[in-house]
Amino acid sequence: MLEIKNLHVNVDGREILNGLDLTLPQGEVHAIMGPNGSGKSTLAYVLAGKEDYEVTAGSVTWNGEDLLAMVPSDRAVAGVFLAFQYPMEIPGVATMTFLRTAVNAVRKARGEAELSTPDFLRFVREKAAALKIEPDMLKRPLNVGFSGGEKKRNEILQMALLEPSLCVLDETDSGLDIDAVRIVAAGVNALRSPERAMLVITHYQRLLNYIVPDRVHVLSEGRVARSGGPELALELEETGYAEFGGEAA
Amino acid sequence: MDLPVQQFRTKAEQAYLDLFEAAENALPGARDSFVAGLRANAIETYGRLGLPHRRIEAWKYTDLRTRLTDVNPLGKGEGVAVSEAALSGALGAELANLPAYRLVIVEGDLRADLSDLAGLKAAGVEAVSLARALEKPPAWLKKALAQINPRDDDAMIALNTALMTGGVGLQIGNGVILDKPIHLIQLDGKGDPASIFTRNVVVAEPGSAATVLESFGGLGLHAPQRNAVTELRIGAEAAIKHFKVQRERDDAFHLSTWLVELGPDARYDAFQFSTGAALARNQVYLHFAGEGAAADISGAFLLRARQHCDTTLLIEHRVPHCTSRELFKAVLDGESRGVFQGKIIVSPGAQKTDGKQMAGALLLSETAEFDSKPELEIFADDVICGHGATSGQIDEDLLFYLEARGIPEEEARALLIQAFVGEALERVEDERLRDALGSASAAWLGISPSD
Repeated sequence: MLEIKNLHVNVDGREILNGLDLTLPQGEVHAIMGPNGSGKSTLAYVLAGKEDYEVTAGSVTWNGEDLLAMVPSDRAVAGVFLAFQYPMEIPGVATMTFLRTAVNAVRKARGEAELSTPDFLRFVREKAAALKIEPDMLKRPLNVGFSGGEKKRNEILQMALLEPSLCVLDETDSGLDIDAVRIVAAGVNALRSPERAMLVITHYQRLLNYIVPDRVHVLSEGRVARSGGPELALELEETGYAEFGGEAA
Repeated sequence: MDLPVQQFRTKAEQAYLDLFEAAENALPGARDSFVAGLRANAIETYGRLGLPHRRIEAWKYTDLRTRLTDVNPLGKGEGVAVSEAALSGALGAELANLPAYRLVIVEGDLRADLSDLAGLKAAGVEAVSLARALEKPPAWLKKALAQINPRDDDAMIALNTALMTGGVGLQIGNGVILDKPIHLIQLDGKGDPASIFTRNVVVAEPGSAATVLESFGGLGLHAPQRNAVTELRIGAEAAIKHFKVQRERDDAFHLSTWLVELGPDARYDAFQFSTGAALARNQVYLHFAGEGAAADISGAFLLRARQHCDTTLLIEHRVPHCTSRELFKAVLDGESRGVFQGKIIVSPGAQKTDGKQMAGALLLSETAEFDSKPELEIFADDVICGHGATSGQIDEDLLFYLEARGIPEEEARALLIQAFVGEALERVEDERLRDALGSASAAWLGISPSD
């Protein structure tokens, strides 16, 4: 269970999160919606542990552990996974090398045996095929020259390989055409399980047609302004974010 | 034009003259008039120029007049025992064991017992000990020695010619295509500090193809001072890959010069990798002597503490339709200083020249310094030439991305440094050699290579 209590976060001296409360039980998928500037991406980065995001008050615990006290790599080991809105390009690091380094780092830290090369390759190929990722893509430098869709599929591949228990998806649908949204959503849905909680951050309701959430929370000015069932997303599609201090969606 | 401003000789400057005077009659080829003539001419050039200093533009960042205070006596590598374990220790096991025609040179002494001279001969390469050949130079050597892209404005090359004690001469026969690299393993000896002047002369006859790998390491000599020159003439349509790996002791002085001449439609791919020495200067002088040739000179150097490494290139396009490329990457930690000077000269009439160079540095500390000085001198009007330089620190966003995937910070940093170097290493086509250089980078970073 993810428990966020009274979270206040400053970025460059400006308060972006302003007393945010959120509870996400194991096995559930919650959507975070809201107008631009409401603090959605800040929440994602704070959960993953990015520097320069100063927590001035509040707490975040994951299964009772204090997430805020951990460095980013320890959060990953504890099960937190952030699918980036803008995945980084790293020339000089082959995608496969990166995947293997990450998987083995996490396995090692979790006290599991590192995967042998053949076992790892089998593991990756199987997960990659499900996401329609060509083997050739894995030989290329990480995300370099990848299309928007390829980058997002690569994020979901990493999510599948690292087997996290808390998945945070930051605007995973942005910049994707409808076919790409379907592939990515299918990849995410395949990972839904009673042991896994997901936070799906999105500006638009479209993604939620494919990843149907248990709960929807609307952020406004750095806190949860309203919560409801999946129907809340549909309602926002009609009315826009005007009542939450944003422009029409 | 640099004006002579020398007023007096420094101690080190004089010491080299004394070294020559004391050794002159015992140097190889002392009784051969051709060799003795070369040496006499060279020491005169050195005496006229003196040690290079910062007011000479090409030595702006590496002032030898100030930095060289003491000169070691001449080294003699004879009789130093070299085991396989010592080779692995000096170069790293991967490099030492690279399948190759090995030629082992200890302080200039070509060790026949450790070298595959017979294998080279069978493959069509004439390989001779330079020390021996200087006594009575064969005709082909007489046409090459000190005559490949010669310079009369470089005191350190002149000093090498005056004092060269050994090395190898290689003549790669017409049309000979070698199945594996020639590995010139150049070691310093053991014990007392020494000055080492080695000279290699490589003549690749037309249509030949070969890889020449020069590696430098130490057997335990204290503060060795090395001045190594390799002359390389690449004949028409010949293709030479030329590598250098320098992993000398952190108290070594390492000066290396490559003098390269490319014939028509020749191909030259060079890569220099350097992690060692307190002070290193890598010079490459290359000129295109025939149309349609192409050269790529790239490299990487990784420095820490107070190491200083200077890479200075001079590429001369004297004829039309030639292509040159350079890509150098520097990783600088501690108070180290990296220098890159790349000069491209395009002569009048060298139309359709295509020359590009790029240098980048990754600074790992606040106190490291990178000086990059590209220079283009273009006297033709139909050319494409360009240069670029970058200098920066590790990208925090990239670091966070890796950490967010569970890779601990130290490991993530090392991966990003390797990635930075990797962009240059990609120029090395030979997979085994590229892997060996990757491992050398990893060793520098203090991480064990992945299986």
